[in-house]
Amino acid sequence: MKLSSILPRLLATAALFVSILSCSEKLDSTGVCAVLCPAIGGEVQNVTIDAVVIDTTVPSLSGLGTEPGLLLASRGDTLDARVVIRFDSLPATFIPTGDTARAIASVDSAYIQLRLDTTTIKGADSVTIEAYDVDTTANDTSTAAVLALFRPDRFISSQIFARAQLTDTVKYFISNAAVLARIQSRAALRVGLRAVSVGSTQMRFISTEGSFGPVMFFRATPDTATKPLTVSPFSKTPVGQSLLAANLTDYTVIAKAPPPAPPSILSVGGLPAHRVYILFNIPSNIIDSSTVIRATLLLNQLPNTGLDATDTVALLPQVVLAGRAVTDPAKAAQIIGGISTDTLKLKPGGSGVTNVELAKAFTLWRTQKPDTLPRAIVLRSTAEGNSPLELRFSSSEDIAALRPRLRISFTAKVPLGLP
Amino acid sequence: MRRSFFAAIALCTLSFAAPAGAQGALSLQGLGYPAGGLSARAEGTGGGVADFDALSAVTPASLAGVGSPALFLQYSPEFRKVTTASGSATTTTARFPLIMGVLPMGQSWTLGLSTSTFLDRSSETTLERLQVVGGPTDTVTISEQNKVLGAIDDFRLALAWSTSPGFRIGVGGHVFAGSNRITFSQLFPDSAEFISSAQAGRISYAGFAASLGLEYHPVRAIGFAISGRKGGDLRAQSGDTAIGKAKLPDHYSGSVTFEGIPGVTLSARAAHDNWSTLSSLSFTGIKAFDSWDIGAGAEATGPRIMQRIITVRAGARFRTLPFGLNGEKVTERTFAAGFGAPLTRERASLDVAIQRAARTTGSDVKERGYILSVGLRVSP
Repeated sequence: MKLSSILPRLLATAALFVSILSCSEKLDSTGVCAVLCPAIGGEVQNVTIDAVVIDTTVPSLSGLGTEPGLLLASRGDTLDARVVIRFDSLPATFIPTGDTARAIASVDSAYIQLRLDTTTIKGADSVTIEAYDVDTTANDTSTAAVLALFRPDRFISSQIFARAQLTDTVKYFISNAAVLARIQSRAALRVGLRAVSVGSTQMRFISTEGSFGPVMFFRATPDTATKPLTVSPFSKTPVGQSLLAANLTDYTVIAKAPPPAPPSILSVGGLPAHRVYILFNIPSNIIDSSTVIRATLLLNQLPNTGLDATDTVALLPQVVLAGRAVTDPAKAAQIIGGISTDTLKLKPGGSGVTNVELAKAFTLWRTQKPDTLPRAIVLRSTAEGNSPLELRFSSSEDIAALRPRLRISFTAKVPLGLP
Repeated sequence: MRRSFFAAIALCTLSFAAPAGAQGALSLQGLGYPAGGLSARAEGTGGGVADFDALSAVTPASLAGVGSPALFLQYSPEFRKVTTASGSATTTTARFPLIMGVLPMGQSWTLGLSTSTFLDRSSETTLERLQVVGGPTDTVTISEQNKVLGAIDDFRLALAWSTSPGFRIGVGGHVFAGSNRITFSQLFPDSAEFISSAQAGRISYAGFAASLGLEYHPVRAIGFAISGRKGGDLRAQSGDTAIGKAKLPDHYSGSVTFEGIPGVTLSARAAHDNWSTLSSLSFTGIKAFDSWDIGAGAEATGPRIMQRIITVRAGARFRTLPFGLNGEKVTERTFAAGFGAPLTRERASLDVAIQRAARTTGSDVKERGYILSVGLRVSP
């Protein structure tokens, strides 16, 4: 075949091949952008404004027993926290191995298995955990009534734990007779735990809400071939309020807590737990007419030299979802939504300017009108109700330089269209 | 005090507004690259034969020479490399710059309907820049991604008249329409601290023009052609809002062809476009320049392959692109070669052209492009 006949065919084939290859576009000219691409978004404007309309400390009303942990503490005159576990439903019968069901006539080796968060342990001394019968007909949420029952005539048992024995699973042996008595009388067994130590002691057990709650085990027969019986916490009261009853299967009772912060100071955490509610007035021309790329709440932290000043508190900003109809900040602060899983780690004894990033809140606010979604946030501790640590900040009642302020970084909206 | 503060913020908001511009190449400044209405045959001759070519959408008069009903489709991918002092970028742009249908009506009249790419703005860029965001020491890298897709197209309905090969005349009505879809994103490295954003917009164009063309062959070996297109208003609209208005550029061209050498056709063409009338369609004041488009080429009977006569072509073209860079003109020099082959007993033909375009401006930015044009004509 002559070259003159091959060449055009080759060219046509090559053209077809290249055409097929070019069917997928590649338009990206990033490599030359340093010279040929002007900045489109414009310069970033950083403004710091006094945008706080309301800032106040409000109680955390999440409810008794909703915490994922059970705080047991004895910190001298500063903190006394106790634990209540309700076993309102106890088995009356058991099935020996190879036999039929029979009534429980004896109890042996009764203990409550507690899951301990070992990172929360304070104090190197041994600790005595005392158990009391705290069953009462008083109002279920009355902590005063419960605390009054930690008295000698209600004493059930005690157990001493050396520091080394405080591992992630703690077996707290309880009086067999006390358990048997409740079984035979078909009464509830409600155990109140109190820590006693030479020095300070504190620890946090995982509650039922934390998925690994307390469980009671005991043997109904000395025969080890028969498996121990397992009893999970359960609360029959308050009757008709199953949700509250579920919360009260195990909970923390605060007998003594550090003094609260003065009203003019914003405080987060502590016992009983508090949150900070802050409502902003953000210029609409920033939210509506510009592109906000960063928003930071500037808080002045005040040192709280009380309990565990050098420990770490994880501060979590959340956006308030309560609409305009909810005017009470204390109530609005309970209707919140998560905007970030990132927390701010602060020490109660720390001081100075603290930056709380609110970028995610702005992404919500720019899609909703203030009537629907107020420009409000709540600052809370992730260990809310489980830790006595308390962060303190200057409020808008402080001098101008120390008040909470909002720093917003934004660019002009880009008019897309003509070059 | 508070009112003045908010006013200052509003002023900042307006003052620093910068519109999204499609950039990243010399040829993509302003409203984009003029792909032109030249067929692969005309591109192969540097545009010299365009005013005599029925399948090029530059003059309505040439339609009269088509001879038989025809459908024509052209695919012209461009492989471009832009080089600057700080780096280079290689891109591939797929274009279908010309689609045409031609229908002879009787002995004298020919009707043609075509769409050709007028200004192609397709581009994509990512610019990274350092900015202080937040506190005075909080410097972060902002990544700005800008993507523009779309073009303004020239839809032409033309009618040509001719009773002899010596004289042809045609008129055309043009509708210029199209859109640019723009996506602009600002991305930040840490989503916990920063809010990345994305905007999307669409700008649509609409305008009208009319064209007239004449072709005259005093003798068989020599031909002359002139054509002109008078532009009307071109309006730009975003949603329901008019955002710009300009005059479509007037276009004039004149061509000569010489067929005195057996088997060879020599042709040359000069065209002028008043692109500067589009200057008002820019938020940033990108300057548009009136430009000359000059080209010449040769077409010759080549080898016979499989009982088919292959036509080979070569040409060169020089023109100024409509939109400049930093106020300076961007020029384009093109060398082209190609061939044409009849297919299926003259009922179809294939034209292929390869153009090497070099675009330069006063700066040290250089752009090289290879445009492969494949045109297929089918006569049903």
